[in-house]
Amino acid sequence: MIDRFQDIQAWLEDQPHLLRLGRLFSETVLIEVEGEEIYLTFEKGRIVSVEAGPSRKTPWRFALRTDAEALEQFWQARPAPGFHDIFGLAKIGRGRIDGDILCLVKNLRFFKEVMALARHTEEGVA
Amino acid sequence: MSIEPITGRYLTIEIGGTPRRIYFEEAGQGRAVLCLHTAGADTRQWRHLMNDAEVTADHRLIAFDMPWHGKSLPPEGFETQEYLLTTEAYIETVLAVVAGLGLERPILAGCSMGGRIALQLAALHPEQFSGFIAIEASDFQAAWYDIDWFHRPDAHGGEMGAALVSANISPYAPNAERWNTLWMFMQSGPGVFRGDLSFYTRDDSLIGRLGQIDTGKTPVHLLVGAYDLTCTPEDAKRTAAAIPGATVSVMDELGHFPMSEHPQGFRPFFLDALARMPRVAVQAA
Repeated sequence: MIDRFQDIQAWLEDQPHLLRLGRLFSETVLIEVEGEEIYLTFEKGRIVSVEAGPSRKTPWRFALRTDAEALEQFWQARPAPGFHDIFGLAKIGRGRIDGDILCLVKNLRFFKEVMALARHTEEGVA
Repeated sequence: MSIEPITGRYLTIEIGGTPRRIYFEEAGQGRAVLCLHTAGADTRQWRHLMNDAEVTADHRLIAFDMPWHGKSLPPEGFETQEYLLTTEAYIETVLAVVAGLGLERPILAGCSMGGRIALQLAALHPEQFSGFIAIEASDFQAAWYDIDWFHRPDAHGGEMGAALVSANISPYAPNAERWNTLWMFMQSGPGVFRGDLSFYTRDDSLIGRLGQIDTGKTPVHLLVGAYDLTCTPEDAKRTAAAIPGATVSVMDELGHFPMSEHPQGFRPFFLDALARMPRVAVQAA
């Protein structure tokens, strides 16, 4: 799973509008997929590190916890209802968002679009 | 170059004893359909249907911006007021617009909070309307978010609101219309989305009134998108089940803003809903 987030890290560099949207976002986000911890450290909109856990020493601002199959569905071009959004995953019981939710909401468009960078499009991968 | 058939004008009505300048748009002729926008948005959500010649050939579509929304100004003194929409003020506004425009028993079509108030009017003032199309409407939705997120001095409520409601837009929606839909939320005045959500997420008075809706006199048809996380198909079906005689259609490829996010996908469902509404009002008008 960590390689998907390394891909996202690379693809983000080619998205100037996201780098602009995220220019004030410098936080660490925990992605937990069936117990596998992945720490994404953002610096002014860039992902400067993708680190595998487990870690008890890495502070994070908010966390998205889900399962691998749900994430794969989320990354489809046209996900089924509920799998189409991170809050949808929470709504259908396939995800949980913890931590500083207000920080997430203030940067919601940016974070959701970063997460969706691995979404398949008709032309291939976004 | 093209000029659309939609025309916009202003109407002044009294709400709560004070004058309000209301912006409304209309297109078409025939059976009147009064259209209500969602929370945090405005009349532009209805523009695709208003530009649809097949719809307007025999329907007069009218949509208005609620006070504080779009081109309808907030009341005088708003700068010291906290905007919190109530069921009573919402009902008073819709009825004042109906009277102000001289509409005789229009069909009422409302989406989200507009659908909620349509069902309230179906219960409390059915004689004013010929039928109700309640889109993405349910008996009650408690907030899973904090409505105060959307009105604070250190962040842009419109941008946050748009990012949140994007969760309710279907992946089948054309990208341009997805973003046109979100733009309205981004433009919403400070505290307006929050004030709308206060009505939508805190007032559960409709629950006890659903059973008194007489669909024999005024039919009620609910439309709900499968991608709507706010009012899910289950929420709409539960609501319809509590209204004797109400019907409901699930729109598999649509979300919470169907007329705005995916007009072509919504069109057949809206035409079907109109076909379910009685024609008596046309002859009376």
